[in-house]
Amino acid sequence: MALPVLEIHELGVRRDGHQLLSHVSLEVRAGVLHFLVGPNGAGKSTLLSAILGFVEFTGTIRVHARDGGRIGYVPQQFPVDPTVPLTVGDFLGLARQRRPVCLGLARGTRRRIDELLARVGLEGFASRPLGALSGGELRRVLLAHALDPVPELLLLDEPGSGLDEIATGRLEEILVDLRRTAGVTVLMVSHDLDLARRIGNVVTLLDRGVVETGSPARILASDLANSLQRSRS
Amino acid sequence: MTALYDRLATLAGNGTLPDAFRYAFFVRGLLSVALLAPLLGGLSHVVVSRRLSFFSAALGQAALTGLTIGVVLGEPLNAAYGGIFGFCFLSALVMVYVQRHASLPPDTLVGVFLSFTLGLGICLLVAVTKRFNIHQVEAVMFGSLLTVTDTDLALLLGITVLVTAILAWVYNRLLLDSVAPVFGRKAVLDYLFVLLLTAAVVVSLKVIGALLVEAMVVVPAAAARNLARTLRGYLVLSVATALAAGVGGLFVSTQLLVPSGGAVVLALSVLFVLTLLAGGVRSFLARGDAGERPAQ
Repeated sequence: MALPVLEIHELGVRRDGHQLLSHVSLEVRAGVLHFLVGPNGAGKSTLLSAILGFVEFTGTIRVHARDGGRIGYVPQQFPVDPTVPLTVGDFLGLARQRRPVCLGLARGTRRRIDELLARVGLEGFASRPLGALSGGELRRVLLAHALDPVPELLLLDEPGSGLDEIATGRLEEILVDLRRTAGVTVLMVSHDLDLARRIGNVVTLLDRGVVETGSPARILASDLANSLQRSRS
Repeated sequence: MTALYDRLATLAGNGTLPDAFRYAFFVRGLLSVALLAPLLGGLSHVVVSRRLSFFSAALGQAALTGLTIGVVLGEPLNAAYGGIFGFCFLSALVMVYVQRHASLPPDTLVGVFLSFTLGLGICLLVAVTKRFNIHQVEAVMFGSLLTVTDTDLALLLGITVLVTAILAWVYNRLLLDSVAPVFGRKAVLDYLFVLLLTAAVVVSLKVIGALLVEAMVVVPAAAARNLARTLRGYLVLSVATALAAGVGGLFVSTQLLVPSGGAVVLALSVLFVLTLLAGGVRSFLARGDAGERPAQ
C-alpha cells in the first residue's frame, strides 16, 4: 500500500467561538485522487485552509514529501484584481522569474509558461487579460500555476463549481492525466458526487469531523451521501 | 551643488532656460520631483493593489505627529527626521500588526490610527507652535520648496536608490501576494512593503506635504489604470503621471506663489480627469468598432 503523503491527527479548528472542525483524523495516500465531500458548512474548505496554514488549528498535520514537500492549491474563489492590468502570462510569470514582470518576461519564462498553458489546454492564452477569462479558463490558469513546480500534494477546492459540462470534462481529463503521468496526489473538495464516483480513488465524507472514509462506491452509497445527492438534484 | 545652481542660473540669465532656474530652491525642487516621480510612481500601483490608499493618508498624519515629537525632543524643525522616521515606522508596523491580528476591516483600523495620530499631533503642534512660527509648520503640512535643502536631496536620493533596489528584488512576490491574497498574505511582505512606503512618504514631505502626500502615492496609479492595458504600461504611465504633475505643479507653484504640495496635487487631479476622459473615449470607440463588425 502507498505511503501517506498527508497525515492529519485529531485536528480541530475554532473560529469566533464556533467549532468548525473537531477530531479530524485522515490519511491521504500517495498517488491517489482523494475526494472530500459533505454538506455545506461541513468544514471542507476549512480543512484545506488548515493544511495550507491559513487558519489556526489544534492537533497535527504532517506532509511527508520529497524535496520540501511543495503543496499546490487551486482556490474555489479567485476574484481578479481590477486595479492591475495583468495578462495570463504576467500572472504566471510572477512566480517564475526574478526580474520584475513589469519589465517584461524573459524568453525562458515565456517558454515555461507556454508549456504550462498547453498542459491545461490553454495554448495561446498568455497574452489574454486575466480579467477577460471565463470561470473555467481562470480555474485552469490557477491549476497551471499550482502545477509548477510539480507539487507533491495538490489541493483543489471545488474546481468544478460554476463550470459547464465541457469545462468540467476538460478538468477531469487533466486531473486523471496528472495522476497518471506525474503521480501527483490530489485532495479535492467537491460537491460533484458523480465526478468522485468516476475518477476518485478514495472518498472522505466530512461533517465537521470525519464521518467515513473509503472507496467511492461504498461511501457514496451511504445514507448521508445519498441525502447530499438528493439535495443537489 | 553650488556650481550646478550657478551654471543653471547663468543659463536662465541668458534666456536658455526658463527664468525660474535662476533660483537654487527651484532647481532643488525640480531635482526632488525627478527623484520622487519614479519612487512614488513606482510604489503607487502596488499601494493601490494592496489597498493601502487610506493607510498612506494615515502615514502622512503620522509624519506630522512625528515632526512635532522630533521638535519637542529637540530636533530642528527643518530636519526633524529622527522624530518623523521613528514615529512613522512605529505607526506603520503597529498598524500592520493590528490589521493582521484583528477581525475588524482594515479601513476601520486605519481610521482609528488616523484619529489617534491626528489628535496627538494637534496637541503636540500647539506646544510646538508656541516656540515656532506656524507658517513653518504649514510648510511641512502642505509642502514648500523653500524648505528643501541639499541634505534633504541627498537623503531623498539615498532612499530612492534603496527603496527602488528592494522593490525590484521583491516586486514579483509582492505583486503576486497583492493580486492573489487567496494564497495567503505573507506577513514579511506586508511589513516590508509598509516600511518601504513609509520611507518614501517621509522623504516626500518637504515637497508634497504631510496632508497631501497620499495623493502622490495613489493618484498616479489611478490615472495610469484609466489607460494602461499591460503591467509595463501601468508602471510607465504611473511614473510619467507623477513626473508630469510634479514638474507642472512646481512651475505653477513658483508662478502663482502657492504651496508646492497643493499645486502638485491639483496637477495630479487634472491628469486623472484627463486620463479618465481619454479612457472613456477609447472604450466608446472600441464599442463602436465592435458594433460595426459584421456578424460571423
